[in-house]
Amino acid sequence: MMGAGRRNDGVADRLKTLVIRHPSLFGMPALLVVFLAATVAIHPDFNSFDAQSLAMAALPLAFAAAAQTVVVISGGIDLSIGSVMAVANVLAASTMENVGFGQALLLAALILCAGALVGAVNGVLVVVSRVPDVIVTLTTGFIWGGVALLILERPGGGAPDEFLDLGTGTLGTPWLSNSLILLVVAVAVIWVPVRRSRLGLLIYAIGSDRTAAFRSGVNIGRSRVVAYVIGGLFSSIGGVGLTMTTGIGSPRAGVLYTLSGLAAVVIGGVSLVGGRGGIVGPVIAAFVLTLIPSDLIFLNIDPNFGQVIQGTLIVLVVMVGGLATLMRTRK
Amino acid sequence: MKYLSGVAALALGVAVAAGVPAGPARAAPQFVIGVSNTHIGNSWREEFVCSIKAEALASGLVSKIVLANREAGPSEQIADLRTLISAGVNAIIINPSDRKALDGVIKQAAAKGIVVVAADQAVSAPEAYVVTSDAVGYGRVGAAWLFKQMNGKGSIVEMRGIDGTPGDADRKKGFDEAAAKYPDVKIAATTFMDWSNEKAAQQMAALLASGKQFDGVWTSGIDYTVIEAIKTAHKPYVPFVGADNAGFIKQLIDYKADGLVGVAVSNSPAIGAAGLVVALDVLQKKERPHLTQITPAAWDNTTDAGVEALKALYDPNVAPTDPVYGPIPKYGHFTAAQEKACKGPGE
Repeated sequence: MMGAGRRNDGVADRLKTLVIRHPSLFGMPALLVVFLAATVAIHPDFNSFDAQSLAMAALPLAFAAAAQTVVVISGGIDLSIGSVMAVANVLAASTMENVGFGQALLLAALILCAGALVGAVNGVLVVVSRVPDVIVTLTTGFIWGGVALLILERPGGGAPDEFLDLGTGTLGTPWLSNSLILLVVAVAVIWVPVRRSRLGLLIYAIGSDRTAAFRSGVNIGRSRVVAYVIGGLFSSIGGVGLTMTTGIGSPRAGVLYTLSGLAAVVIGGVSLVGGRGGIVGPVIAAFVLTLIPSDLIFLNIDPNFGQVIQGTLIVLVVMVGGLATLMRTRK
Repeated sequence: MKYLSGVAALALGVAVAAGVPAGPARAAPQFVIGVSNTHIGNSWREEFVCSIKAEALASGLVSKIVLANREAGPSEQIADLRTLISAGVNAIIINPSDRKALDGVIKQAAAKGIVVVAADQAVSAPEAYVVTSDAVGYGRVGAAWLFKQMNGKGSIVEMRGIDGTPGDADRKKGFDEAAAKYPDVKIAATTFMDWSNEKAAQQMAALLASGKQFDGVWTSGIDYTVIEAIKTAHKPYVPFVGADNAGFIKQLIDYKADGLVGVAVSNSPAIGAAGLVVALDVLQKKERPHLTQITPAAWDNTTDAGVEALKALYDPNVAPTDPVYGPIPKYGHFTAAQEKACKGPGE
């Protein structure tokens, strides 16, 4: 690829290389466009209200997907993401109920630190105990779920209106939901510096080939813990996001997000064996998955078929992904 | 000639109109009704939705039902409600997953002129109409009967619903009100069976296996599988509080000879249809109070008259874990057959 063609590397060639190297970067937006087009076809009155609904509903799932992506790229998995979101959600709602906006922001920052800490606990447990991460995070998921119930036994709490507006309001135009801005900013601020740094390289390395990384002198344990810390951070942002969009804390809030987030990760083109993929794909996949239930309501199809469709989508994506890999190796 | 046929046509028209029987609806404006339910795989909730569809069909006022029916929490229900608003419905019947979380969306719906009715469980939004079975009364009636049967002494097993839901919280309130009058009754165990037949049976089996002693059982409406669990374990029956589920009603009739004493406190899923009745009245600009609380009926098998009433209630064609079909008196025009068919207008 880089040999004789290098001299004549026009825009078209460079674009082609980019598409083949990063299929999810182009495949996912294309999939989103297809789903959005279908949505507008089903519901021609699609307006700014619907755009806001989409952003608000996709927010928690997008963060769950982001959290899972980082851990999966490092070669692990985190089944406690939903519970960590619930803990962040109830912590926020129970502490922010009668405070001012500034205080609420401070509390949010503290909760994010707590989320990172929870991620560290997950990571350290996985590394030190040498028990497979599936089992460790499944267990910690139950523990954090219990912690959420201890903090807030039944749904309640609240937050100041300006804080809630950070999730439910809009900026400039009613088409631009604050939720969308929050998502893009949080992901960019956290992931882009990591991705471009040595740390990002290490995370991909230990996911791609742990033995080779070890032999290259990489501190496997530390890198794995860092991946879980970033995951915990994204999870807690998702949980605080839930507080913004629902206005309450709900101890069982996270139940559905762990597996749906994992589905978004796979659909988003991240390999479950680790070492491949980026964060954009899963985040966009979260939007695609969020569109499905409301499209089904408009079509008067049982929204529970959404799960069937979600599963079918995963199978299709994995098949297409396999096909793309095949074409790449053949070339 | 033309003039005569015109008069004849007019006379015919008047005769036909005079002969038409008055149905539940006089005018026929066609309303679109949205329904949001967040708990599935549960026959009570299924009948809840079916009762709304049946009432929509029977009322003759509804052109379409837009249904948002999936296992969900408050966050997803907010999204579903926004979808229903977007679909341009005239009214929304909600079974809320949380008392407070939906207030914002309900306010937005009301601002767009949509009539919002919370059925079965209450919401705190002032714009919404609330139609509930008096859940506090439900808890109190069953508990009071139970404590009286136990002569105010002993310990009981308390099997509750889903922790955190308004329905469970209200029933607990009624239960506590009755318990306050019987201080000598202790609670041996409290479980949350999440209104699941399988879970409740498992919890009872575990309790029986643990050897814990109890003299009565209060349940939040899951009964048939729990009684069967007691029967399978060959343990003696104790006074039992359940709901108007077909299987439990049969057990009250059949196992009375084996010592089963129990009460079926009505918690009809047709409360959904009741919500629709209120919504349709409000849409037609008729007066309805913001809060409608329907008092639960109760049938026990301790008297012969009671057993006869239970026999009248029982329908062998209904699955044992399903509530009996039929509208709540004065709050529905549909028939049990329509509810079983579960087809809305245009389906």
